[in-house]
Amino acid sequence: MVTCAECKSYFPIPESADDYKKGKGDCVREEKDQKGKYWLSKSVMGDMSADNCSYFSKKLTI
Amino acid sequence: MEKIVQLSSTNLDQLEQREPSTERMKRLKDRCRWKSIMGGEYIDPDTKAGMERMQILTKAYKENEGQPEVIKRAKFLELSGREHTCIIQDEEILVGYHAENPDWVCLYPEMGYNATIDMIESDLMDEEYKDEAREIAEWWKPRNLQGKCEPYFKKEELEVGYTYTTMEPFPFALVYMSMNVPYKTLFEDGLENRIQICQEKIDNAFAEHLHTDVNRPYDGVKVGEQLHKIDNWRAFIIAAKGIIIWSRRYARLARIIADHFDVPDWRREELKKMADVCENCMAKPARGFWDAMQAKYFAWMLGHSYERYASGYAHLEDNILWPYYNKSVYYKDPEQPLTKEQCLELLEEERLKVSERGIAKGRTYRQAMPGANDLHIITIGGVDEEDRDMCNELTDLILEATLNMCTPEPSFGFRWHPNCNLKTKRLVFECIRRGFGFPAIFNHNIKKWQLEYYFNVPREEAARWALQLCMSPGRSGRYGTQKTRTQGGGHHYVTTKCLEIALSDGFDHSYTRKQIGPKTGDPAKFKSIEEIWDAYVTQCRYACRLHTRARDITRYMEARYLQSPFVSILDDACVEKGLDGMEDMDYPNPWCNIMHNSDIPDSFAAMEKLIFEEKKYSMEDLVKALRANWSGYEEMRRDFLAAPKWGNDDEYVDKWMRRFFETNYQLTHEELTFIDGGKPLPLPQTVSLYASMAPFIGALPYGRRHGEVLGDGGISPYVGMDKKGPTAVLKSVSKVDHRKTKGVQLNQRLSHQIMRSEKGFQMWLSYMEAWWNLNIDHVQFNVFNVEDLKAAQKEPEKYEDLIVRIAGYSARFISLPKIAQDAVIARTEQELGA
Repeated sequence: MVTCAECKSYFPIPESADDYKKGKGDCVREEKDQKGKYWLSKSVMGDMSADNCSYFSKKLTI
Repeated sequence: MEKIVQLSSTNLDQLEQREPSTERMKRLKDRCRWKSIMGGEYIDPDTKAGMERMQILTKAYKENEGQPEVIKRAKFLELSGREHTCIIQDEEILVGYHAENPDWVCLYPEMGYNATIDMIESDLMDEEYKDEAREIAEWWKPRNLQGKCEPYFKKEELEVGYTYTTMEPFPFALVYMSMNVPYKTLFEDGLENRIQICQEKIDNAFAEHLHTDVNRPYDGVKVGEQLHKIDNWRAFIIAAKGIIIWSRRYARLARIIADHFDVPDWRREELKKMADVCENCMAKPARGFWDAMQAKYFAWMLGHSYERYASGYAHLEDNILWPYYNKSVYYKDPEQPLTKEQCLELLEEERLKVSERGIAKGRTYRQAMPGANDLHIITIGGVDEEDRDMCNELTDLILEATLNMCTPEPSFGFRWHPNCNLKTKRLVFECIRRGFGFPAIFNHNIKKWQLEYYFNVPREEAARWALQLCMSPGRSGRYGTQKTRTQGGGHHYVTTKCLEIALSDGFDHSYTRKQIGPKTGDPAKFKSIEEIWDAYVTQCRYACRLHTRARDITRYMEARYLQSPFVSILDDACVEKGLDGMEDMDYPNPWCNIMHNSDIPDSFAAMEKLIFEEKKYSMEDLVKALRANWSGYEEMRRDFLAAPKWGNDDEYVDKWMRRFFETNYQLTHEELTFIDGGKPLPLPQTVSLYASMAPFIGALPYGRRHGEVLGDGGISPYVGMDKKGPTAVLKSVSKVDHRKTKGVQLNQRLSHQIMRSEKGFQMWLSYMEAWWNLNIDHVQFNVFNVEDLKAAQKEPEKYEDLIVRIAGYSARFISLPKIAQDAVIARTEQELGA
């Protein structure tokens, strides 16, 4: 199983944020349509399964 | 921000072509996600109904079962702040949207079931979401505003109230509301300060009353009084914290885009500044113009499109933003330095953001506002309580942005006074002569006096009135602003339908084929014009009373089930008293729209002349002719068409308009008291219902056939019937007492050749001087070349920027249905100087 936390669209919420929760992050992706580009941010838990997510793209780790 | 490519000229006499002030604004306009509507449907096929708001709302309510209703409302906002999708579009400076996709709209299942299910079952919602959406709508059915209000009406009353005949559909089914967000409080205090004030109120309530101090007496009455207030203050705090989280998630998104996505360097730097603005603008006092514009936009989006649905964009923009503009542009070492050009760009972008606002209001009002996405009218101009000019550099910049962007939204109302400076008036003229149809012009003195005299608004506040929607003034500061349409305006009875059924004993032959009004007698047997008038007034009275009851019951239930804790925390009166804005009954500002106006005096003048004076026809003849839709009665119809008509300074028919106005005042202000103690004033206006209601109104005695357009505006002559020039129109209009109304809508079409000539400004100023001296409430103008409009009907793609005035709003001409286009074309052109 892959999880949201392993995706390159996943950005953990900083501890200083008002909505911080351990393991929670922002799922940010870029979209484009005929009117232009935009970015969406949705709240997700990092341990959520991403097996069925069509946007999943594994984060590169060094 | 992007470097300005072209600064607009200040030499107004030479100015003809206008365009957005930067290349970026041009690009944003080209890709604007318009949400205009035609025939009740969205023109852009990408517009869809989203699920996210409904899902979060329902989840919040279920998770907080058992909590006070206002707490559930607040928890909904808190959860939204944490979970709702944030969207930032490429190159935009002002951010925020209320649905999960920038092309989508959100639904309001807690308001009306009929309106919600209508959306769900339409093509607006994708099939994959419909099952879940239906389930949510059914869950809300007994809990929503409509479900709460319906038990207080008989079945036959609901039948009348759910169809658009003699009255506007009941508000709890209509899903059309309005409000006025106290932006000034947000700029001056910030939500963190408001939270602190509310917390202090709670602490004080406990310290003073909910205590166990054995050395002080216990007063259970006081304890009881505090409980509801504590719930409200807690709700305000919960909602405000949720909103701060929401705005800071936008800040975070801007930073993530800047740090992790491929954007140009200038944009990367701009995104970081946007992040700083979003981080602070809702939580803290505005540091400058950018904070204020972003805070205003967030608050408007949340108050009008998310917390609930409400039409409008009520505020006195140049007045409340001026301190922040001044700080940013002119202070030495400002916290948020901006150039005038950067401020202009923000104002230009605001116009596009408003145009992108998609709203899922009920079908009735989607049909009633063809070409627009909603009513968004901002107020500018005027004088203060000492009659000093309130127009400032920002007023002019707002008008410059309007000229540059050439969008129909937001529209403007200009508070006219002789002391307003000429430069600003020239810019107002420029907008009008380009055919925008706005700013609409309002008599500042009449509006100010009205608020002081009828509604006890203090002098200084009354001088700072702002339009609540398109015609009616109201408070605009920190205190006691309108929170819902049932507190202030709207609701109307339809005079033409009332007259139609007065001439058929209360039965609707042309549309519903039902008894929709009281039995007022066989019209064929009426022996005098007074009998007809009495029957007509009885029908109006019935419609007015029934609708008023629907409105009051809606208000009662809004106060209990549809609170607005976010907007309420911004109102000093709400926080002071511990009352949600829906339940604070201390600031009534009510009116009752009167739909279709010139039709009535024109009808009565014709009947008086042809039936009771010349006796050329009988009442029996008239009833047969109307029932036949004049078919087979062509000569008779020509006679009725030729009878004296309103707008020609002809006392024969003008006396009927005076009587009509007096009767409206009697039926509303004298005979009604609303649930909050307010006594409404009549407001004759017609919006676009002169066209959209045409199929529902049968033939009328001034010669109109079933389906033909009805009278325009609130006091405008019927199209083509004003034959004696603009001065005759103004003279007729001045014969009624405008002080006995909340406003009177006057539409005038002026010659484009004269308005666009060298002498146009001077001639228009002369017209306005005559208008002012005749003590007339309002006027708005159409200025267009008929050939352009006819060409636009054939090749719409070449006329995308062609804007016309419809009623209380303007629209892109090509977005209108043909019947509305034809009605605009047919408006009589007045020659200035006639």
